[in-house]
Amino acid sequence: MSERTVTIVPEDGLHARPASVFVETVNEFEATVEIAVDGEDPVAANSMLAVTSLGAGHGDTVRLIAEGDDAEAALDALEDVLTTPESEFDDE
Amino acid sequence: MDQQTLDRILSTELVSLEEPPDEKRAAIEHLLDIAVDAGRVTDREATLDALLEREGETSTGVGKGIGIPHAKTDGVAEPTVVFSRSSEGIDFDAPDGKPATLLFMILVPASGSDDHLSILSSLSRALMDDDVRDRLHAAESPEAVTDTLMKAIA
Repeated sequence: MSERTVTIVPEDGLHARPASVFVETVNEFEATVEIAVDGEDPVAANSMLAVTSLGAGHGDTVRLIAEGDDAEAALDALEDVLTTPESEFDDE
Repeated sequence: MDQQTLDRILSTELVSLEEPPDEKRAAIEHLLDIAVDAGRVTDREATLDALLEREGETSTGVGKGIGIPHAKTDGVAEPTVVFSRSSEGIDFDAPDGKPATLLFMILVPASGSDDHLSILSSLSRALMDDDVRDRLHAAESPEAVTDTLMKAIA
């Protein structure tokens, strides 16, 4: 099991476009990924509803927990998503 | 969120058990008009534009049959949640491909700082519970809908 703590960069937080890119990215990997905000239970990172329920805003810190063969690669990709400013999502 | 705030954000006049149109854009206008009729919207056009702009960014279908169209706009004076449900479901481009049968529209004033995120997260957390979704589908009155949500959120 791998874990990583990441501070959210997109201005609107883990919501809207960044949240949907986050969930899509989770689904590209075999690893099972969970996400938690400080002091709360982790939720399934591949569920848009669960991710939205975190209410994680810009500057908040989240904990990512991944389990599976490609867990490290998944965490690298998810860290990228969470640390990309929102303006850059628009360029895709 | 305390009980009084919730009562105000989601009053029974903002709950409709009538069948909404089965197409997304029309359904969004239908929900918006419920808020307009309840006197919550000061500028319908600006509010609709904000909702559609948000949908254009990524759809608000979050899976498990739930659609949460939302907007932060000066077209509303206070935070407002509108509820409606569809028996056939409406295509909200959800990641799990399921049509939205439970619809929540969240409208917050542009100056409402983080209201919009906190309402969205409280609601999403409540809706992760299968039992809450079942009760919303089964509710036979607007009061049953607001009661279920109050208990789940509070």
